[in-house]
Parts: sequence; structure tokens; C-alpha cells
Amino acid sequence: MRVELTEMLWFEEHAVSLSELCELTGLSPATLEELVSTGAIEPIDAASPEPRFGAVALTAARHARRLREDFDLDTEALPLVLGLFERIEALEQQLVALRARLPGRLR
Amino acid sequence: MKYKDYYAILGLERGASEDAIKKAYRRLARKYHPDVSKEAGAEEKFKEVAEAYQTLKDADKRKAYDQLGQQQPGQEFEPPPDWRAQWEPSAGDAFSSEGLDLSDLLDRLRGGSGRGGTRGARRSMPGQDYEIAVPITIEDAYNGTEIDLDLNMPEYDPQGQLRRVPHAFKARIPKGASDGQRLRVPGKGGKGFNGGRNGDLYLNISLRPHALYRASGHDLYLDLPLAPWEAVLGTSVEVPTPGGVVRLKVPAATQAGQQLRLPRRGLPTPKGEPGNLYAVVLIVVPTVVNEAEQALYRQLQTTSAFQPRAHFSEEDSHAS
Repeated sequence: MRVELTEMLWFEEHAVSLSELCELTGLSPATLEELVSTGAIEPIDAASPEPRFGAVALTAARHARRLREDFDLDTEALPLVLGLFERIEALEQQLVALRARLPGRLR
Repeated sequence: MKYKDYYAILGLERGASEDAIKKAYRRLARKYHPDVSKEAGAEEKFKEVAEAYQTLKDADKRKAYDQLGQQQPGQEFEPPPDWRAQWEPSAGDAFSSEGLDLSDLLDRLRGGSGRGGTRGARRSMPGQDYEIAVPITIEDAYNGTEIDLDLNMPEYDPQGQLRRVPHAFKARIPKGASDGQRLRVPGKGGKGFNGGRNGDLYLNISLRPHALYRASGHDLYLDLPLAPWEAVLGTSVEVPTPGGVVRLKVPAATQAGQQLRLPRRGLPTPKGEPGNLYAVVLIVVPTVVNEAEQALYRQLQTTSAFQPRAHFSEEDSHAS
């Protein structure tokens, strides 16, 4: 059994290329390109010929892989489902922000 | 290893059709998948369901599993020698189920569709990714912290067989974590086999509820109860912050619900400006007052011209 101290890296600071994104998520380049073209996964620098992807894209791509495997979703349905999850997450964040502002005794 | 009843997990009879297996899986995945379920323990439940489905949807694995016979769930058992001779002839006398669970065993079968099915081809295989939830306190997020991780990871041994290997290590969470933030630890997931890359470890940070503070991103909110006279006259109060007590000036005529900002007293960010701390004003009144106090309140009642509900009687109160 090893005991070691590991320094964590903030996920947000690491941008990866499309091929690295494939490797990290196990999605095929074709599927990823489809997700990028529908806007379900967005690069940091859309104008660049070699787009780089950040933490949000990596999270979405891993999510896509999980959903596709666990629910047998096809590539056409994925962007829709991912979009709905994105909206739910944004709403949940708003709810947390609003709850934080409410005095504790009134909740 | 412990026996698992994959049919019971999916709520099926042993002779269930492929179609029934798929339907049962879909129904349970819809119910317990961690992405769509908020039920407590859903993730563990989904792992069981997924493991059962991975075995039963594959005709070969299902056959091998069925031939193990039905036992009590959780009962310790060893695959009998004739079963091993049929399904794992190459393992020979070297076979050992140490460190294996039932799904690992079935993954190793010849002809199985799991990763173990490609063994012998000496293909390189990437290690598995791991994702774990890490709840931390607001103090930990403020100061940074070290956490002990105890993971039981499936790894490939030199023969390309999956084994569960315990890994214990300390991980340092730098200060500046916020709720929902993720950390990736490259190469700290399962080991790759034959040149395959190591898996990554993903940590999902969540902040535990705190008795005083509520977090929103890197900003913190704190209830600041004031007595009516403090709110009217203004005062200076001591306010706790994660970095220590600070003095806050409450201006005269402070209203309930108003937020008094303490700049940079919230959570630090990995880079850049720390968040703010907001003191949310509550005006609280004593439940017990003595005669002298009552007399003073009565005096105030008769002296004050303040009309808190003046807008009720305004003509246009319905319009706005």
C-alpha cells in the first residue's frame, strides 16, 4: 500500500485538444465533432483552427459518454439531453445563490 | 468472493428474456442513475444494476453466471473446478480469486465482451477513471486541506487480469475550492496496462452546510441579527468571518434584509480576488420585556410619527 501526498490541479486551468478530449472521455472523434457542431460542447477559442477545450467541455463530454453508455442514447439525442442538464444545473445554481441571500430563519 | 443475485437486482425471474432484461435495466437506470436521481444511495444502487445488466445482456457471460448456480446473495463462494475448466482453462492451477469480485471474474472469461476478453492479444488498455465526491467544510475551503483517500481500484496485473488493488494516499486540496468545483488528478486513477495511459481521478468538491455561513460561489452570506434600536441608531458589531472576527459598522436606519458587504472576507479563489462576505440584516425583538422596557416602548409608540404601512392606503397601491 502506498502512502503519498498528491498535489491537486485545478481542473479549470487545463485546456485540452480535441484528440486529448477523445482520449480522456473515450468518445470517438466523430461523436465529439457532432457534439461540438451542435454546440453541446464548446471550445474556449471557437475561432482557432486547433480548438482547445476547458473544464466545462471536459465535464460535458464525460457526461455525454456516461449518458450514452448507460441509457443507450444515440448521437442525435445527446445534445438535447446535455442541453437540458445544462439548464437544470444553471437553475440549481441560481437556487443556491438565492437561498444563500435569504435570512436563515425565513427559509 | 461474494455471490450476487443479478436477476434479483433487476427484479427478474431467472429465465427472463433478453428484452425483459433490457427493459428492467432501463427502468431502474431511469430511477437510480446518479445523473437523474436525487435519491439517497442512488449511485450505489445504480452500480449494482449496471453490473447486473453488463453480465446478463451478454449471452456468454450470462451462461457462465447461470452455471455458477443460485446461491444466497452475499454468501462466500468459489467457482467449482469444472466451471473453471470450462470457462477459464488457461488459468490452470494458478487460478486465484483473491482480490476479485464476481464482476471481475466474469470480465475475465474467454470470449466475454469485457476488457478481459482481449487478454492474450497483449493490447494496451487505458486505466479506469475514478470520480469521487469530496465534501469539505467552509473552513477547509478557506484554509486548504489534506484529505485521506482510500480507493479500491481495479487494475491490470502483469498478465492483463483485472485485480482490485487498495490505494491509500493523501491529497492536498488547495485553498479556494467552491461548491461544485472539480479537480482532476492526472494519472491517479487505475493503472494502464501494457503501455496504456493511467486513468485519472476526478474529485467533485461540495461544501458541507455550515452553522453560520451560506456559500454562493466564493461569496459567503451570514445572518446579522440586530435589535430594533441598533438598526435605528446604527452601531458597530463584531462579526465572525472564516479569517477571524472583524468589526462592522452598521449605519443608522438599517433595514431588515439589507446586505452589508465585507469586501474580500469570503472564500479565496485559486487565482485573483477573494469573494465577499455579506451580512444579511435581521431585525429581532425580545420575547420577554420587563415593565420599565414596556413603558419605554409605549412612550415611543405615542411619540413616533413613523408609519410603516403608509403605502397600503395610497390610491395607486393596486396599480404597482
